[in-house]
Amino acid sequence: MTELTKFYAEMLLLRQFDQLCLDLKKKDLIYSGYHPYEGQEAVAVGFCAALRRDDALLSTHRPHCHAVAKGCTLESVLTEMMGRVTGCSGGLGGAMQFLDIDHNFYCGSVVGSNLPIATGIGTAFKQQGGDRVCMCVFGDGASNTGSFHEALNLAAIWKLPVVFLCENNQFAEAMPVKEFVACERISMRARSYGLEEITVDGNDVEASRKAANEAIERCRRGEGPVFIEALTYRIRGHYVGDPESTYRNMDEIGGMREKEPLKRAKEKLLQGGVPETELKAMLQEINQKLAALEEWALKQEFPTLQQAIDHVGIALDNAPEVRGPQSLAL
Amino acid sequence: MWALHLIMHPKFGVPNLSRFRAYKNGQPIYSHQGNMPTVTFGEAIRQAYAEEMRRDKNVFLVGEDVGRWGSLYRSSRGLLEEFGTKQVKDAPISEAAIAGCGLGAAMMGMRPIVEIMYIDFITISMDQIVNHAAKWHQLSNGRMKLPIVYKTQGGAGRRNSSQHSQSLENWFVNIPGLITVMPSTPYDVKGLLKSAIRNDNPVMFIEHKALYFEKGEVPEAEYLIPLGQADVKRSGNDLTIIATSWMVTFALKAAEQLAQDNISCEVIDPRTLWPLDKETIIRSVRKTGHCLVVTEAPSEGGWSGEASSVVHEHCFASLKKPVRRHCGMRTGMPYGPTLERQCIPSADSIAEAARGLMKQAPSA
Repeated sequence: MTELTKFYAEMLLLRQFDQLCLDLKKKDLIYSGYHPYEGQEAVAVGFCAALRRDDALLSTHRPHCHAVAKGCTLESVLTEMMGRVTGCSGGLGGAMQFLDIDHNFYCGSVVGSNLPIATGIGTAFKQQGGDRVCMCVFGDGASNTGSFHEALNLAAIWKLPVVFLCENNQFAEAMPVKEFVACERISMRARSYGLEEITVDGNDVEASRKAANEAIERCRRGEGPVFIEALTYRIRGHYVGDPESTYRNMDEIGGMREKEPLKRAKEKLLQGGVPETELKAMLQEINQKLAALEEWALKQEFPTLQQAIDHVGIALDNAPEVRGPQSLAL
Repeated sequence: MWALHLIMHPKFGVPNLSRFRAYKNGQPIYSHQGNMPTVTFGEAIRQAYAEEMRRDKNVFLVGEDVGRWGSLYRSSRGLLEEFGTKQVKDAPISEAAIAGCGLGAAMMGMRPIVEIMYIDFITISMDQIVNHAAKWHQLSNGRMKLPIVYKTQGGAGRRNSSQHSQSLENWFVNIPGLITVMPSTPYDVKGLLKSAIRNDNPVMFIEHKALYFEKGEVPEAEYLIPLGQADVKRSGNDLTIIATSWMVTFALKAAEQLAQDNISCEVIDPRTLWPLDKETIIRSVRKTGHCLVVTEAPSEGGWSGEASSVVHEHCFASLKKPVRRHCGMRTGMPYGPTLERQCIPSADSIAEAARGLMKQAPSA
């Protein structure tokens, strides 16, 4: 199997997984806001999947495909979004905020918040002396937060092993990037803080992986943080059923579908002689796997109230009796 | 005469030196063997830092001017020279980044002490503390330890007006997942800070800017003060005064005045606002039947209301009067030495509030 075939298979899994999540959202089996990932799969596969298990990945409110690409199991990610106890945060986080310590994956639903945290992970990795890297994914919208600017500066002056990955999908909720960012490219902001910057076609999975490897290796060598702007396009709304026509010309979506990463990878594979039947078989296999996953997920239990409140904080062991029932968990 | 006041706590493995107290003229005297050195509050902090950084190389201090300056009130002076930039990190003026840096480092096994120079500036850090540091332990099903000390200082007393003098501790008491500590003496700050550094939760450690140059006895031998444990700073029988941080100093002075009026006050310093040592408060009010809560923060929506409710809920049958609160005014802190002192409790105003409480009709 060529590298591109492998990437294609991984992207196809994410595409179908995203579709499954969308269906479950429509059935109200995913409860919170659900942010579809369709059209951005080359970023997850190109970048997130380039990390080692012991590297850290910080993601966003649109995290599910990043998580799977980082190595989190489909079971733990899907059931987390469905609020089941088998989810990676025990079903307490939901579709926008969960973490998986075993795979070093963390995400949260406040835009821009993860960049400062990346500086801390980078500080620890640098101090601990290994070659671990932290990757922090965020959108174009995050680049307008104060946290973005504080974190880039801190990472640059301390030469931290952090890959800042701006997944520019052209929209921050309903705000088109061209109206809400005045500079030509977001990566220009990084350069002004003294970071190395790479701008890449985020719909080209091979180019994305090449940029990822370059950035990660640079961090591993201790040469400081790298900023990547991966240009992609959010094919669906910010969330399911948002009033898309208020912020974009609906006709442009059709054109962008021609440039989406799976279509491009598929065309290249077919041109390279990969038989279409092989790709069809790949899709069939993935669909079967996801059907089984859905069936399994629907049978999983929900956390109890006790499980929900058990771990608000670590109880002080010296004086449990002074705290009273309402303060049991800090 | 010295009245020896010993309260043993068999449930604690570590001897709690603060309980081994003697009082002379209403002032606490530590009944420690031999003479204890007298040090400032700031020096006690410095000792705690140094001891913990020597003990554990994962402990590091990060914040604005913690290195070269040795922090605003010199509580980390000399540490950069001893421990280097791995453990003492001067950070740019970026409170969101600094707070997030602490969180990220703690996630990966470090034990950061994040210094936010003024509590007023912690507004910039709130996203990191409230939305992330306070939530991730729960989202990890109890697996992720987050040993972070968010250390800052608040309050009036240095004539700094309304953006450098606030008492914002109430915000943190209201956030599940955070421990909130407010020490009032050099002895307490050292023992509590060492415990906070060793604790695996995010701890809000809020000092008072008027206390850094106050002096007190601090033993040379190592000691820890458990978080979540109040201290009876003065024993008495008629009125329980619960006071926090700088207000403890004034409450003790007020208790002296009130002793002249034959009102015997018991002054309780909760030291940790949350989790709250309800037991010590309840035991005291059941004995005295009267309770006055004193904080520098405004009473409205604050911890002082929480403390009052604890008393009402648990001591109703013992209460001879309703609990009274005597707190800072609900105002932006005015500029200059005269006005700011008029906006916060003083020894005289506490004594007056106490006399008013004792005279008040029970039904009022």
